[in-house]
Amino acid sequence: MKFTLHIWRQENARAKGHFETYEIDNISADCSFLEMLDQLNEKLINDHIAHPVCFDNDCREGICGMCGLYINGRPHGNDDGVTTCQLHMRHFNDGDEIWVEPWRAKAFPIIKDLVVDRTAFDKIIQAGGYISATTGGVPDANNILVPKHIADQAMDAAACIGCGACVAACKNASAMLFVGAKVSHLNLLPQGHPEAMDRVKKMVCKMDELGFGSCTNTYACEAECPKQIKRQNIARLNRQWIGQLFGRDRNE
Amino acid sequence: MNLPKIHSITKKLFVALVGSFLLLFLLFHMTANLFILRHDDGQWYSDFCHFMGTNWVVKIFEIVLLGVIALHILLTVWLAITNRLARPVRYHQASRSKTHPGSKLMMWTGVLIFACICIHFYDFYFVKVGVVKGEYMVKVENLSKLDAQAMEDEAVSDVLYRAFNEGNISEDGKWIRHINYEERTILKERAPESDPEPDFYYLTREKFSHLHIVIGYLVFFLILFFHLMHAFPSVFQTLGLNNYKYNPIIEALGKIYTWIIVLGFTAVPILVYLGL
Amino acid sequence: MKLDSKIPEGPLSQKWTNYKAAQKLVNPANKRKLDIIVVGTGLAGASAAASLGALGFHVDIFCIQDSPRRAHSIAAQGGINAAKNYQNDGDSVERLFKDTIKGGDYRAREANVYRLAEVSGDIIDQCVAQGVPFARDYSGLLDNRSFGGAQVSRTFYARGQTGQQLLLGAYGALSREIARGTVVLHERHEMMDLVIKDGRARGIIVRNLVTGELERYAAHAVVVATGGYGNVYYLSTNAMNSNGSAAWVCHRRGAAFANPCYVQIHPTCIPVHGDYQSKLTLMSESLRNDGRIWVPKKKEDAEAIRAGKKGPNDIPEEERDYYLERRYPAFGNLVPRDVASRAAKERCDAGYGVGPTGLAVYLDFADAIKRLGRNVVEQKYGNLFQMYYKIVDVDPYENPMMIYPAVHYTMGGLWVDYELQTTIPGLFAAGEANFSDHGANRLGASALMQGLADGYFVLPYTLQNYLADQIYVGKIKAEGPEFDEAEAAVRARLDGLLAIGQVENGKCKVESDATQSAAANLSTFHSPLSTFHSVDHYHKALGRIMWEYCGMARSKESLATAATKIAELEADFYQHVFIPGKVAEMNPELEKAYRLEDYFELARLIVADATQREESCGGHFRIEHQTEDGETLRDDDNFMFVAAWEYQGHDQPEVMHKEELNYEHIQIVKRNYK
Repeated sequence: MKFTLHIWRQENARAKGHFETYEIDNISADCSFLEMLDQLNEKLINDHIAHPVCFDNDCREGICGMCGLYINGRPHGNDDGVTTCQLHMRHFNDGDEIWVEPWRAKAFPIIKDLVVDRTAFDKIIQAGGYISATTGGVPDANNILVPKHIADQAMDAAACIGCGACVAACKNASAMLFVGAKVSHLNLLPQGHPEAMDRVKKMVCKMDELGFGSCTNTYACEAECPKQIKRQNIARLNRQWIGQLFGRDRNE
Repeated sequence: MNLPKIHSITKKLFVALVGSFLLLFLLFHMTANLFILRHDDGQWYSDFCHFMGTNWVVKIFEIVLLGVIALHILLTVWLAITNRLARPVRYHQASRSKTHPGSKLMMWTGVLIFACICIHFYDFYFVKVGVVKGEYMVKVENLSKLDAQAMEDEAVSDVLYRAFNEGNISEDGKWIRHINYEERTILKERAPESDPEPDFYYLTREKFSHLHIVIGYLVFFLILFFHLMHAFPSVFQTLGLNNYKYNPIIEALGKIYTWIIVLGFTAVPILVYLGL
Repeated sequence: MKLDSKIPEGPLSQKWTNYKAAQKLVNPANKRKLDIIVVGTGLAGASAAASLGALGFHVDIFCIQDSPRRAHSIAAQGGINAAKNYQNDGDSVERLFKDTIKGGDYRAREANVYRLAEVSGDIIDQCVAQGVPFARDYSGLLDNRSFGGAQVSRTFYARGQTGQQLLLGAYGALSREIARGTVVLHERHEMMDLVIKDGRARGIIVRNLVTGELERYAAHAVVVATGGYGNVYYLSTNAMNSNGSAAWVCHRRGAAFANPCYVQIHPTCIPVHGDYQSKLTLMSESLRNDGRIWVPKKKEDAEAIRAGKKGPNDIPEEERDYYLERRYPAFGNLVPRDVASRAAKERCDAGYGVGPTGLAVYLDFADAIKRLGRNVVEQKYGNLFQMYYKIVDVDPYENPMMIYPAVHYTMGGLWVDYELQTTIPGLFAAGEANFSDHGANRLGASALMQGLADGYFVLPYTLQNYLADQIYVGKIKAEGPEFDEAEAAVRARLDGLLAIGQVENGKCKVESDATQSAAANLSTFHSPLSTFHSVDHYHKALGRIMWEYCGMARSKESLATAATKIAELEADFYQHVFIPGKVAEMNPELEKAYRLEDYFELARLIVADATQREESCGGHFRIEHQTEDGETLRDDDNFMFVAAWEYQGHDQPEVMHKEELNYEHIQIVKRNYK
């Protein structure tokens, strides 16, 4: 297969970026999108055309959340429920033009080429995306009963890989699905109840502070989430936010 | 500049609350509009308009409504600006994510709706206030309240005379119709007890006899359709009244609501134009 | 070099208790004055940093990815073992201990494994308290499933994403400590060297992967938890960025490296489908419960399939060779990982392999679908089937899956004693980076258990024991000749690598003075277009050599060939590798290059260790040492030891030290799969 690639090149965070066009041929349909880029880079190095394209990637089996490219107007490209590393070239037509852009959001500044800085997600988690359980001082695992449907729902939400596709897809660059998923995961479980209200408050405040947009219920996040996390998690976050507004603040 | 700090979700909550108020109002407005379709020479509709124009509770409500619309616009514009700022550099390729069309267009449908509401105000609300000229009517029973001075006023009697001569009395005999703006001014000044009010029944029917207005009206409701299709379930989502179980019901209710609103409103110009 | 495993006195079941009772502690007020460096944020690193931070120590933690949550622990699917005996099926610490030792083919240290089994239950308690959404039954109690190498159900799981959920738990705990300020996170930082002062590990040199700058960090102790070195084979189930370099620089600085030849090869992976392929994807071992493995009986059929003239469904039942069922009637398709892997290789080598490359065998579910119905199969394996479909684009409900073995896990690693301390005082190694608990073969669902045991329940104790007297040393500063020397060495190394291919028209493209002089030394002019190659070119070549000659089955000859070929390739690498870009910028090619440099040395050591170990055990199979049935044949009299290697310099063969394994508690028997 043959493709024309338009790839965003940007030397560093401060530099002005631009699209660069490359032609690539002899790509197997079974090849993943990142392997296609590997071959492009190999070509760029061997033919000494340009510096290889930088892009984040790691596990290449769709679980680490490291990869993420905005391909032809869709985060992770034109297949549902996959990350970029699991997107295969058979989903394109021979001779296609492919536009490859980095995630774009104020909270995700570009580091180089297609690599963006997603530490904002870490900061949101640090604000309260955990259950405080100091090592050792915990009860026996079966002392905490969790109804199966609750455990299942928590697991659905916990499947988030933190790739940032929700932010990339959202027309407002909102992180509500990410925050909603983490809040749902932890607040659904009985272990998470003691800190629930605090958690919602702190995580949402941090999200606002970091410059993410607000949710306008477009659900592009849900459509593009590689783990197919549902919008109901955002509704739960909203619900718990209301609860937090009127509930007793444990810190005051 | 130190804007008051309101958290993103709280802002959204206000939009949702204000929006749900407007959703209810639309239902109410539509019901009233359907009165026009009665072949009673505006009997119900005029009575209704009279009530709306005179009751003091309604007057308060009117202010609240204007405030709510303003708040709705203010909040959504504010949100739109902050949301825009959250992505300073836009994508080169337009989004191809699978989403509801209504949701992505909210801002634009909103702007168009605002423009239409302005026209609506021009046509109706400003007529009522008297800024814009329209047709007016006077309650027959009000004539008995006129004092002697007013009764003897030549200009007033000219107005009333013309009305009686031309037979501009409604079928139920309650209203003197087709009073023009100048006549209204005379009545207002010289016989304030006659209390002329706009003849919305007539004004509406007159407007809907023009094809271009009917088409414009239908286009407006097409825009509103998209706005509401998204707005209704959105209110539930933002208020957190949404889960896996209720979601399909809410979606369905949203569709039913939107169709009722759109069909209810658009039935009036279509049927009036067709003379049915 | 003296290998002192420091196993505490007393009966096996009392050793850890005795250790904890006798160990030294640090006063709470003093803890914050003690600095610890943790490298790696996988299960072991994140849990260690979180626990140490919670205790009050000051921790600096480093990861090469953009977030701690990316560490490759996240990719573990199956589950985590723990001797909870919640199913009342006769499980106990003792049984988990025995299963692990036996699974490791009697090449692991008894005391360490016993401690692992002992704390396994605490791990589950800890993870549940952190909100890990383990599978539950309808009563709300924790659910278990069974895994290979055990007769009890002791595996806890969270769908097919157990590793992810456990890592997110540890990441949460770590994030909490970061927010509290006890732990400082340095993401996109790679450890380049270890700094030793007065004989103790006192700091590290790291490269900021965004700017390319070198930075120094000092501490009272260093923990390396950077995973295994499976990527020496290029194609493996490891992540692209997983590498052995952090452990290897420690080895270079004097830490012994143990049992490098123990590499686990997993039988059920999606096969290689092209030269461009970057990694292999694991399909859960559980598939072998219902799938039947076969290749065609006739070579013509296999050739026709390879040529695309025939499909698997064109081969009639009687023309299929269910070779595992044929060779191992008792265990059939459920033979252990190493046996299944070797059998697949044997068939493919003999010319019966299928798929376009001929390096694949069929895993067929037709019988299972006929017997159980599609629905049941879908319920059991639906997500795996879907994953296969996404990658291969062949519907596994209609056609058999194609699978082939792939490198998965490395049991070898930095040699550590009972305290997880390496041969360098103050340098600790945890998780897959150390060698301690799995012997020659790891059981399924034990990697997660070991990583978390080390981080949550071992290091917080043993590190404290080490640090107790360090309070008198005062703050360690990142300065002095040792730091200068280490940083200069790293800088020279990076510049030297870049210099190799940077000559064009007689001029050097890199600004650095050091590089210019290095470049000027290259008298001949090389055009990058003709003779120069990318780093990946060399890595792929190294991977092929390792897989071919030091993979599933090794012989004296193949290992000798491997050694020669590695040496040739390495020599070529140092002449013809072309790395674009600069040191002082984000430069993934440079990262790959210095990791590959270490892989060359590591590959040499793996080959040396495999050559030295004249027996077959677990993941190490020497074809000279097998039973008549092709099983591994151990030589307990001569090889019941840990081979700990000592670095002697880039060009020198390493020196081996032996730690004899004394089994006091356990009865040594032959592993028999029949």
